[in-house]
Formats: sequence, C-alpha cells, structure tokens
Amino acid sequence: MNQIYDSPDEARQVAEADTQMGPDPEVAGRYERIRAAEEAHRALLARPRFSLHLQIYLGFFLIFLFVLGISVALVVNMYSVENRLRFLELVNEYVVQIDQTRRFEKNYFLYGTNLKDAVENIYQAKDLLNRNAEEIGKVMGKAGQSRVLQNIKIYGDLLQRLEKLEQQGMRGADYQRVKNEIELQLRESGHRLLSLGQDLTKREKKSLTDAIAHSRYITIYSLIFLLIFLGVYAFFLGARILRTIKRFSNYAQRIASGDYTPITPARGYRDEFTDLALAFNHMIQELENREAVLIQSHKMRAVGTLTAGVAHELNNPLNNITLTADMLLEDYDSLDDEERKEMITDVVNETARSKKIISNLLDFARESSSQLEPLDLVQLLQETIDLASNQIKLSGIKIELQATDNLPRIHGDIQQLEQVFLNLILNAIDASPKGSKIQVIIVPADDPHYLAVKIIDFGSGIPCNILNSIFDPFFTTKGKGKGTGLGLCVSQGIVGKHGGRIRVSSREGAGSTFTVTLPITTIPAEIGAATDSRSNISSFGSPGPQA
Amino acid sequence: MPERIEVLLLDDEPIVGKRLKPALTKIGCDVEVFENPREALERIDQKNFDIVVTDIRMDEIDGIEILEHVRQKAPRTKVIMITGYAMMSLARKAMEKGAFDFIAKPFKPNELRRVIARAAEALDLSVDFETGADDESNL
Repeated sequence: MNQIYDSPDEARQVAEADTQMGPDPEVAGRYERIRAAEEAHRALLARPRFSLHLQIYLGFFLIFLFVLGISVALVVNMYSVENRLRFLELVNEYVVQIDQTRRFEKNYFLYGTNLKDAVENIYQAKDLLNRNAEEIGKVMGKAGQSRVLQNIKIYGDLLQRLEKLEQQGMRGADYQRVKNEIELQLRESGHRLLSLGQDLTKREKKSLTDAIAHSRYITIYSLIFLLIFLGVYAFFLGARILRTIKRFSNYAQRIASGDYTPITPARGYRDEFTDLALAFNHMIQELENREAVLIQSHKMRAVGTLTAGVAHELNNPLNNITLTADMLLEDYDSLDDEERKEMITDVVNETARSKKIISNLLDFARESSSQLEPLDLVQLLQETIDLASNQIKLSGIKIELQATDNLPRIHGDIQQLEQVFLNLILNAIDASPKGSKIQVIIVPADDPHYLAVKIIDFGSGIPCNILNSIFDPFFTTKGKGKGTGLGLCVSQGIVGKHGGRIRVSSREGAGSTFTVTLPITTIPAEIGAATDSRSNISSFGSPGPQA
Repeated sequence: MPERIEVLLLDDEPIVGKRLKPALTKIGCDVEVFENPREALERIDQKNFDIVVTDIRMDEIDGIEILEHVRQKAPRTKVIMITGYAMMSLARKAMEKGAFDFIAKPFKPNELRRVIARAAEALDLSVDFETGADDESNL
C-alpha cells in the first residue's frame, strides 16, 4: 500500500484500520488464489496415470490375443480333422483288404480257388496294421489293437493250416472233417475281423463329425464372445471419453458464467484429459487476471465520470474558501476578533467539506483485489449513492432509497458490488430527464435465498429490439467516446461471480428497471459452491438484523 | 454621492452571500442576499434590481429559470451567472438567453466586482471600483 497521507493523523487512522483487517486483504486474496491453483495442480498430477492411449492399445492387444487363441484352436482342430481323415482312409483300406480276403476265402470254399490270394491279402492287411501300429494304437487303445492283431494272426494261421492241408493232398472223410472245422473257425474269425474294422470305421466317422462340429462351435462361440467383448470395450472407452467431454463442457459453462474455481480431480487416475484440465486451469488464471484488469479499468472509467461531479462539487467549498480568505485579507484591519475567528472557522470547515467530497471517490478508486465478506446491502447502496451524490446533484435528479426492514446480509466483494450498483445508478442518471427521480428498492427476492435490488428510472426506456443486446460487450447507445459498452457486461460478470444475476425490464417512454439478485449468507454451502472457494473469510455472517 | 446600485445575490451556499455582501457594499452596492430561489423570485417580483447575481445549479429552481424570469419581468436588469467549471454548456445557454456575463467558481471577490462594474457601466451607473485595477497576476 503506497499512499501518501496529508496528515500524520490520517496515516495513523489508515494504519489502524489496516491492523484491524489483519494482513493486507489484497495480498491475502492473491495468495489464497495461487494456493488453490497450486493445490489443484498438485492433486491433478498426484494420481496414477492410465492414459486413453494405454486403454486403446490394451483393448486392441486383448482382441489380438483372443483372435490369436481362436486361430490356434482352429488350426489345431483342423490338424485333428486331417489326422482323422487319414486314419479313416487307413481303416477303409484295412476293411477293403479284409473284405477281399473273405471274398477269396468264400471262393475257395465254393470253387477251391484263390486261397493264395486270400493269404496274400491277409498279409497285406496285417502289414497295413503293423505299418500304422502307432496311430492305430492311439485311436483304439493297446487292448483293441492287440485284439485286432491277434484276430488277424488267428485268421492267418487258419489260412496257413488250410494251405498246408491242400499241400498234403489229403482226401477222404478226414480231410473233409478238418477242412470243415477250419472253415467254421475261419468264418467266425473273418466275421470278427470285418466287424472290428467296420466298428472302427463307424467310430472314426463319428470322431470326424465331432471334430468338424467342434470347429464350427469354436467359430460361432468366439464370434459371439468377440462381439460382446467389443461391445463392452466400446462402451467403456466411449463412456470414459464422452463423460469427460461432457464434464469439460460443464466446466466451460461454469467458467463462462464467471466461476473461476480451478478444476480439481474427478477421477482416480490421470490421462490426456488431465493435460486438458491443467490447460483449463491455466486459462482460468489468465482469464481471472484479465477480468481483474477489465474490472479495474472499467472502475477507472466510472471514477472518471464521478470526477466531473466531484470537480464541480469541489468548486463550492473552494469558492467559499477563496471568498473568505480574500475578504479576510482585504478587511483584516477593520474586522474585529470575533469576525476574524468566524471567517477562519469557515475556511477550516470548508476544507473539511472538500476532503469529504473527494474521500469517497478516493476510497472507491483505490485498487484492491477480490475479497468476500458478509455485507449489509442497504448500507452498501447508501454508500454507493453517496459516492454518486455529486453526479446526482449535478444532473438535478432525486434518488430515493427504500428497503425492507431486517434484511439478511449477502455475501460478496464490497468494492465490486459498489462498482455494479454505481454503474447502474450512473446509467439511470444518464437515462433520466432533469427533475425526475430514480428509485432504489431493496427487497427479498421471489426466491427466499436471494435479495433483490431494483434500480428504477423514469427515463426514455430501452427499445425492445436492443433489450437483448444491452449486456453484450461493446454494445452502447451512448455517443462515441462516451461509453465503452462494457459497463453492463462487466457488471453482469461481477454479479454472476457472486452467484446472482441482473435482469432488465423496460417500457419505451416509461423507464427501465434493473433488478440485481444476490444470494444471502444463510446458506453457506451453496454460496461457497456458487461463488468462490477462495474466500479467506472463514465465518459467514448470520442473517440477523441490520446494524 | 453616486446613486447606489441595487443588487440581488442568490446562491444556496450561505458563505457566498455572507462574504460577498460586505465586499459589494464596499463598492457602492445595496445587496440583498438569498439562499432560497423561491424567496428570491418573490423578491424580484416585488422590486426592480439593477443587477441579479445568481448561481446556476441549485435544487428545485435553477439559475436559468431565474434568468428567464428576470428577463421577462425586468429586461433592463443585468443578470450575472455563477457557474462551476463543469457547467460550461449551461453558461453558454445562459448567455444565449440574455445573461450579461458569467463567472466561474471559484472566483475572487474582485473578479465579481469587475463584472459588476462593467454591468453598472452598461446601465450608466458607476461603482467605486476600477475595472482594470485588479491583480490579474494572482489568478
């Protein structure tokens, strides 16, 4: 605080006031904000990282693994089908050999031919089995395999015995008896061989069908599973992205409405959106700095406007001082002591009056940072009207302040709200014809948690076609160089930041009413959420009667 | 002994009248001081003044209305307007409406005396004040 005081008294008063307020609120407020921003920054980065990148890659990798699994299963199954096909061919060949053998066997018993062929065929069948012993063993099991081999051996032995019988050249009843006996055994054994082979064929065909069905099922089920997995994956990935985008669009709205609380972590991990959040927080800080500059520059414009009124009003005490001092000088010798004293007292009083005229403006003009505290709206409005009083007097307009008794306090920044109301009152003065009045009415709003300040002028009103644009930045109806078109825009920003709003109603030719609603302090939680978590005021005012 | 000049002084600041009354009396004016424009108007209706000195900005009735009233009632009367620096447009308006001259606050007694002397001259009256004798260098 770099200020030069005219008198040591004043300097002491200001110093005392400062000590009562504790540390410099400007510094405290700024520190609080920086701390909140840093905390948010730290919290955002403190979480474990689970990036979108990772989720996408991980998902695709899982899909790849799954497809790989399916492919392996299908290849394995195909291999098994191939084996079975080959084995089936083998079995077929065996059955054909046995069949052939038995046909030769029958020929022999009917016509006495082809015994040699039968022996040859059964050797071929046996050879076939021996060559593929391993494979057959696997399919039939060791017991089945040895049974088949044993049967073939028995059959072969029988054929050999028959061959030997033929070679001996035996004739007669004995020969016939032995032959009949062998024939009986041969038929039985041959039948068994054949049925074993057929049985094997049947079994193998069933296995083959099973294997093919298996591969069909693998395909169908894995497709279904893949579909479900892809659905779930898409849902989670989509939800993660969309939900966050929605959250950020809410942030954007919140920031647009003037709430500059930094973004804090909403999830248990950080990812690419965290970088976005950090960028948002940076933007919020920049926006806040810029808004502060805008508010301050607009305030200085208001100060400029007020200065004209102050300069004029200041002329009166200055004139009184000049006249008095001049006359005192001129008539010093002819005046008596009483008269001299009276004149000097006038000078002193008029000097004090001058000081009072400018001190409000100087207080208002002093740069200060945002600080929230419970405020008495009626007192605030009275101070604002005092601030504008020179302007009001100058324009020949009357201003009436009416308020409902025992209104609760509101929570806000006194400087910024004064600026808002000053702006509205100065606008009302501009709109009002000479000799008219402006009403300032403070009442509870329709919503019980709010107070409403109505600033009513009886001027020309605002044409319907521009009523919607008056809060737009750079919109002005005042002449070039007279208004920036930022007053209402800045005011709305300030009120929005306080969790309130400004509304306007106007009838052309009848005047305009600007209504500012502001939340009262009886609902601290809501206020905290609606306005600002940076507040360095820890206790909220009770809604007691006004001081 | 020259004829005394009848002056009505209207300003809602009491000190203005309090200091200017003796200042103008010394140069040969008979000064009636008013703080309330309504009372001043009544007095104007009763009596013809040579010179009316009025502040422009006052509550209720402003100096322009006083000027218009005087011009209507007594065209011979010279009206001198007292203005603030921020009211130059009003001062111009007053001149257009026939004010003799205007003087901006804050002013020294001699500045007003000089204007009054010129107004008296215009009325073929004389005051006990040299129009060129003021200490201009002090301004």
